[in-house]
Amino acid sequence: MTSEKPTMIEMRDVHKYYGDYHALRGINGTIRAGEFFSLLGPSGCGKTTLLRTIAGFEDISGGMIMIDGKNMAGVPANVRPTNMVFQSYAIFPHLTVAQNVGFGLRRDPRPKAEKQREVDEALEMVGLKGYGNRAAHALSGGQRQRVALARALILKPKVLLLDEPLSALDKKMREQMQMELIKLQRQVGITFILVTHDQEEALVMSDRIAVMFEGGIAQLADPETLYRRPNSRQVADFIGTMNFMPAKIVAETGDLVEVDSQGFGHVTLQGSQCMGTPGSNGSSIGFRPETLTILFENQQAVDRESMATVEEVVYYGDMTYYDVRIDGMTSPVRISMRNVFGRPVLDIGNRARVAWSPGALVLFR
Amino acid sequence: MAKTPSQEAKTGWLLISPPAIYAVLLLAAPLATVLIYSVMTGGRGVVGLPFTLQNFTDLVQKPVYLSVMQRSLLVSLLVTLTTVVLAYPIAYFVSFHVSPSKKALWLFLITIPFWTSYVIRVSLWRTILGYNGIVDSSLIGLGLTDEPVNILSNGITSMIITLAHAYAPFAVLPIFVSLEKVDRSLLEAGQDLGESRLMTFIRVTLPLSMPGVIAAVLIVFIPTVGDYVTPELIGGGKVPLIANMIETQMLKLQNRPVGSAIAVAAMLVVGIVSVVFVLLNRRFIGGSK
Repeated sequence: MTSEKPTMIEMRDVHKYYGDYHALRGINGTIRAGEFFSLLGPSGCGKTTLLRTIAGFEDISGGMIMIDGKNMAGVPANVRPTNMVFQSYAIFPHLTVAQNVGFGLRRDPRPKAEKQREVDEALEMVGLKGYGNRAAHALSGGQRQRVALARALILKPKVLLLDEPLSALDKKMREQMQMELIKLQRQVGITFILVTHDQEEALVMSDRIAVMFEGGIAQLADPETLYRRPNSRQVADFIGTMNFMPAKIVAETGDLVEVDSQGFGHVTLQGSQCMGTPGSNGSSIGFRPETLTILFENQQAVDRESMATVEEVVYYGDMTYYDVRIDGMTSPVRISMRNVFGRPVLDIGNRARVAWSPGALVLFR
Repeated sequence: MAKTPSQEAKTGWLLISPPAIYAVLLLAAPLATVLIYSVMTGGRGVVGLPFTLQNFTDLVQKPVYLSVMQRSLLVSLLVTLTTVVLAYPIAYFVSFHVSPSKKALWLFLITIPFWTSYVIRVSLWRTILGYNGIVDSSLIGLGLTDEPVNILSNGITSMIITLAHAYAPFAVLPIFVSLEKVDRSLLEAGQDLGESRLMTFIRVTLPLSMPGVIAAVLIVFIPTVGDYVTPELIGGGKVPLIANMIETQMLKLQNRPVGSAIAVAAMLVVGIVSVVFVLLNRRFIGGSK
């Protein structure tokens, strides 16, 4: 279990002000040793600011950051056990690739030949073997990023900070680098903290994710929990697609909550499916597009079944997205279906049987 | 209707002819005259044949020419050094510590000395540096010295002060531009990789700003070698530099060929020094490809 890993970074009530602007509003959280941790959120949510306070480029206005059990207050960036891969990569243009990678080894007392060998090893690790004598300014974007990685990892930091490292790469290259980063992280076992605004990237790469909005952490959880049990509509909306329907809480008995909602009628939900504080008004239920299934002619629903009308069809090749209105609903919901062989793609206006399960619903109070 | 290439060329020549005529008359022709004069035989007020290299052999053999040439180079190198060393911190301050909205104002303030004529600025330095001048009266008033220091009596020192002041903006601007181009995340990267602010400056900022430093060196060095006003007014003609010697030969002694030869020799020396710096510059700009 990941929870057995020791704590690497602890953040306690971290605040950051830029003049009147409150950039970080009381960040609390723990990042464990050796985990791939992501800070995910829209631009301006404070994720990069938080990363920079961990790196030591920004002072915090209040609270405390501990790295490996040591309070980082007043500790400058150059002596912190962290290294950063910058968004712009920040490769020194006047140095060669090898000089860039070996930049941080100047004060290392070991003999030159040994350091050179280590530089070569670091270059090999990121797939740039033999590039040592190239001029840094002659590299492509992907190669620059590898140099930045090698330059940081050669110093064997306790924490590697990655500030949107993949945002400048094209889609193919980005997906390839995601896989390489995951492998690299497993190989070196260093704690990685990734800042990203790409929810898919965070889900693919991370052991745990902190979703940030407006200077605060909205939810800190592993990818599956975040996807299946988002703790607020805001988080649910930011990660993937979620349908929302207004709902009314009828009764709460112990751990069970009875809910009335359009189309689904009367359902009983477990406590773990219910988010927010009990007793608040304006609740809604949410469900992912893939948790609903349009049934084949003679297919039987595993749990519940409702009739619906197809209102929109979006064909994606491997998938088809349907906007269907379940009888009794005032607005359509989105359903994603895998296009398997032999299953016809429905047309607008067709009637369909939709299978669903109360266990896949989430209640937001 | 399409124009034929020759018609097009004609139009082109016509368009560039005003500046071309200007350049030929006022730049190329005088330069060519100087070059030709330098290899002709001359006497007082006359320039004539045969062609000879005697003027140049005289330059090398007569110690007076060599010593003036050496002094000129020494003065301009010292001026260049002083100017660039003093300009760098100014440029650094404006680039790194002045808020972006105020940078234009700062640069504008730096150019204020240009509002006054060069000759007037130079003669004002006489008042500042001279016997019982502002420097002397300040030092005596503060009780730091009893005797007037009279910096002006030391020709070379006062020339260096005057020229360094006059050329300071020329040095600040190119250094400022090269510092502005330094990606700030590189400085964070330097610190992130374990270097202090000072070491990051030495290993990152300084090498990346070298193109600006070398440009500043050239911009200050080239005109100061040929400066005429400052040695005349500040040095009082007692420590003549190349320009003064050319003036003496050309106008006072009326020996145009010798004056031309000195001018050509000075151009050669400046050319060689400049090429050395340009090569140095290429090393910093290009990196190793």
